[in-house]
Amino acid sequence: MERLIEEIPNFFTIWNVIFLAKAMGVTFLLTAIGCLVGFSVGGLLAIFRKTKSIYLLPLRIFIVIYTEIFRRVPFLVSLLLFFYVFQIIKISDDLFLIATITVCIIATAYIGEIIRSGIESINQTQWDAATAMNFTYYQTLREVIFPQAWKVILPPAFGFFIMFIKDTALASQIGVMELTFAAKILNNKGFSPLLSFGTILILYFILSFPLDRFGKYMERKLASNKN
Amino acid sequence: MGYTLVYTQVLEFLPYLIKGAWISLQIAILAFFGGMFFGLILATVRTFGNNISNKIVICYVTFFTNTPQLVQIYFLFFALPEFGILLSPYIAVLLGMTLNAAAYLCEIQRAGFLSIRQNELDAAKTLNFSLFQQVKYVILPHIMRVLFPPLSNHYIIMTLGTSMAAIFGVEELTGRAFNINSETFRSVEIFSITALIYIVITFIATFLLAIIGRYFFKAKIRIIQ
Repeated sequence: MERLIEEIPNFFTIWNVIFLAKAMGVTFLLTAIGCLVGFSVGGLLAIFRKTKSIYLLPLRIFIVIYTEIFRRVPFLVSLLLFFYVFQIIKISDDLFLIATITVCIIATAYIGEIIRSGIESINQTQWDAATAMNFTYYQTLREVIFPQAWKVILPPAFGFFIMFIKDTALASQIGVMELTFAAKILNNKGFSPLLSFGTILILYFILSFPLDRFGKYMERKLASNKN
Repeated sequence: MGYTLVYTQVLEFLPYLIKGAWISLQIAILAFFGGMFFGLILATVRTFGNNISNKIVICYVTFFTNTPQLVQIYFLFFALPEFGILLSPYIAVLLGMTLNAAAYLCEIQRAGFLSIRQNELDAAKTLNFSLFQQVKYVILPHIMRVLFPPLSNHYIIMTLGTSMAAIFGVEELTGRAFNINSETFRSVEIFSITALIYIVITFIATFLLAIIGRYFFKAKIRIIQ
């Protein structure tokens, strides 16, 4: 314990703080890009999944298979799989890019499911009414479904943003310089694991706690609006 | 390109991998039921406890749901030895996953508690049900119907989470994939097969859980979303 107190001034030097801040930025960036791409592409997947046209049947089957596969493979395994696939096809050896692409692909699968269940939560009568008023599919979604569905979509979506902040810790396994990897480096430099991993835990907490609070607040607010 | 996928060498290791999957399953089930148990205690305290105990449970849940499971296990595995507590990798992973699951399962089970309405209990009392009968005929059927889908969902998430154990050297499915990888260097083949095994395991689990849920608790779970 005394050793720990002695170490603290050495640990929080300006260089270590900058190092950790940079690592925190990488974690945040990974999550933010993943969630943005996941939300846009996942939304598209959900929209195409609910189409009825027979010509889009192969696309719908593809979407079902895609979401089922990537929601059932652990993040670590898919990360390593993409890492080695990228080594073979030799497009890029930038670790951050590989991790970002993996996060995007997984986020798309998860958020696509959330948006789809949000769309499905809207009563069938709403669809029927829109059809009766001769709305096109796009108009139905824009004017009728999404204004109601986003209340159902947002709370679990926030849950998944937080899940991604935490899941990016696994990207340290392929060597991306994010928070967990930074902690491992500091630990290898000789700082006590209690100090390095403890700091990282707090930093992760700082990243995800505001989002968690905001998600819960939104959930409460939207729930009270609905009744 | 210049790389051809060769599966023959890796397929020889298939029984080895499947035995690893068995260990993954073990970790997932142990951690899940451990988490259920601790989560139940926490949820009970949260529902019936006083202000201070409530705050403690809230702190526990917020901390464990807002930090990565991986770093929590790192902490248990590397930082506890500073205090003279040495955990084997298997125990560290199991403990980390249990503590983490307890936080999530506490929230889920509390939502189940809150879903019981006072009217139901009053009705049961009016019919002169004993406490045991109340639990058996009124509380449990209701709670399980509400709780079963999110619980089974969390079980699947935990099955996927067991892959983290590989990082600490536990020889479960992903850990064995690491071993074969360093032996044969057929990385893509190995990890694609590992991914496939995970898909099969989780499909079987979802299927069984859906049957159990429908048959016993009248809970609706879809196998393919």
